[in-house]
Amino acid sequence: MSRQITVSGVSLQIEEKGQGRPLLFLHPGEGLQPNRPWIDLLAQQHRVIAPHHPGFGGSALPDWMGTVDDLAYLYLDLAKELQLEKAVLAGACFGGWIAAEISVRNTSRFAGLLLADPLGIKVGGVLDRDIVDMHGVSRTEFMRLAWADPAKGEIDTTKLPETELAGIARGREALAVFGWKPYMHNPRLKRWLHRIDIPTHILWGEQDGIVSTAYGEAWKAEIPGATMETIPGAGHYPHWEQPETFAARVRGFTQRL
Amino acid sequence: MRTWYFSEMAYHPAWEKGLSRGSLRVNFPNDNLDPAEAGKLLNRYLDEFALCDEVGIDIMVNEHHSTATCMTVSVPMALAVIARETKKARLLTLGNPIANRPDPVRVAEEMAWLDCLSGGRLEMGLVKGAPYEIHPANSNPGRLMRRYWEAHDLILKALTTHDGPFSWEGEFFQYRAVNIWPRPIQQPHPPVWMTGMSVETGTLAAERGHVVGTLLSGGLAKPMYDAYRKRARELGWEAGPDRFAYAAIVGVGATREEGLRRANAVADYVRTAPVVFEPFTNPPGYNSIGANVAMMKAGPRAHRLVTDRNGEPIDHRTATVQQFMDTETVFAGTPDDVFNQLKAFNTRMGGVGHLLFFGQGGYLSHQDAKENISLFGKEVAPRLLELGIPEEAAAAE
Repeated sequence: MSRQITVSGVSLQIEEKGQGRPLLFLHPGEGLQPNRPWIDLLAQQHRVIAPHHPGFGGSALPDWMGTVDDLAYLYLDLAKELQLEKAVLAGACFGGWIAAEISVRNTSRFAGLLLADPLGIKVGGVLDRDIVDMHGVSRTEFMRLAWADPAKGEIDTTKLPETELAGIARGREALAVFGWKPYMHNPRLKRWLHRIDIPTHILWGEQDGIVSTAYGEAWKAEIPGATMETIPGAGHYPHWEQPETFAARVRGFTQRL
Repeated sequence: MRTWYFSEMAYHPAWEKGLSRGSLRVNFPNDNLDPAEAGKLLNRYLDEFALCDEVGIDIMVNEHHSTATCMTVSVPMALAVIARETKKARLLTLGNPIANRPDPVRVAEEMAWLDCLSGGRLEMGLVKGAPYEIHPANSNPGRLMRRYWEAHDLILKALTTHDGPFSWEGEFFQYRAVNIWPRPIQQPHPPVWMTGMSVETGTLAAERGHVVGTLLSGGLAKPMYDAYRKRARELGWEAGPDRFAYAAIVGVGATREEGLRRANAVADYVRTAPVVFEPFTNPPGYNSIGANVAMMKAGPRAHRLVTDRNGEPIDHRTATVQQFMDTETVFAGTPDDVFNQLKAFNTRMGGVGHLLFFGQGGYLSHQDAKENISLFGKEVAPRLLELGIPEEAAAAE
């Protein structure tokens, strides 16, 4: 299920499961968790391909790589390498930002774009903070904002093996490399979202305190023909907090493609 | 051992309020500062620096941002004033937080200007900066040390190039015409210092021959100094004590009680300075992967501890003067006491050439601060100058 693949000289760890229309899942800034029920559920309909972003898990972050542009081109190369056709491109949180950067460049291998609580665009004015400074709040406050039920997201790091912890620590640094400044967005991305020429569906956790549903509406307004649904009982990570509902909503979207 | 006096020019009138809010840095609003009071304090602290020149000790200045613990926001600005008020003291910046500075060429210009102004008295510290400086500067903590080294190399290139302009197209910094005016008096450039707390920093500093300093923990300093000496030896040279600096609080008095009382007042700085809102203490990438793995394995902890010479944990926020003396954070007593403590410390460390004399934390009165500086300058500093490589360490090699 987990394997290493080298794309554009970058060694990536990818998780793969299931059969059917390929679904490339790009994970949030918190990484792919050890338990991923949403992958099992999505794999009932799809060949799910979930890479660990460079720097996360067992994926290398080469010195030359350092922007979300790099990640977009890397995953376009991955899609080519895996010969994906009419695939679903799905991204959550930070992964949603990457998916959007891919889609404004080249959608030829994808039939649909699924965004779940994406980061990546600037909507408000200079004094408005569209995206909570996740690195400037306490861990307790972060959990309260990111989860409808924070208890569901608690991970006891004292029980994890050191290799896993090293992957988490490297991932946290990688997220800073890619998204520290400007904070978790590309000031120019919003102006290019009109280029997205495949069906796009946006999912939003109703209790997301990191990026609001109003921010989601701004995404919807910029992407031609985009649709949007909210998921109750979910915060910033609906795939993780409400995997059944998330998978059902994805199924509803991909059946239209 | 040379002595360099420093103080952070603290705004201690706001400390109680900051402590009650659980953070003195970054998110502590500045309406807790009275600007007129700040001005009085700055003038008072600058008078204390000026006194050092009269009693024959050198001067160090550092900087922090968005904090009640340090009003020095700009090392070159503070040293510009001090350079004009002093004649003999060497002037150390420890330092310029160059990983957080958007413009390294500006740093090179400022350092060259200070070297000219002071008649070649500048010593130039180039530092990584503390973790809670990341947010106020909004510098990226990811790849921080790569940015540090590029800035370091560019600053030295700017200071040593006299047939410019040259261009620089690096990973983090790009310039089309670097050609600084004025250029420094000291050739090829003012001495370079670094700070650190790790074996890795000791090794990297040795590869460049820079002075390396650490603060407030003898337990952390020794392995770093040893790593430096080892790396220097591998590279074919012997690192003497003049490559090593150590920052400590010093309280000296006519009586032991008076020295301890002064040290206790200065130590309130150390009890206060670590109180900062948790997310600013460990930005991702600032600490090594290994250190972060260890923190996650240990689980959430209320605060970090250091250990004394017997391995006993000490909490900096509540430690007594005696406990601080056990961690080599404080040296205190009569001039004889302090000299003997520092002599023993020098032996334990294998020879330390520079004492960074933290002699004003905030609560110490102006009168006490002046007496602390004068007594140290007259009674302790001249004797420390005669300390070299300790006999025990020399004999062991």
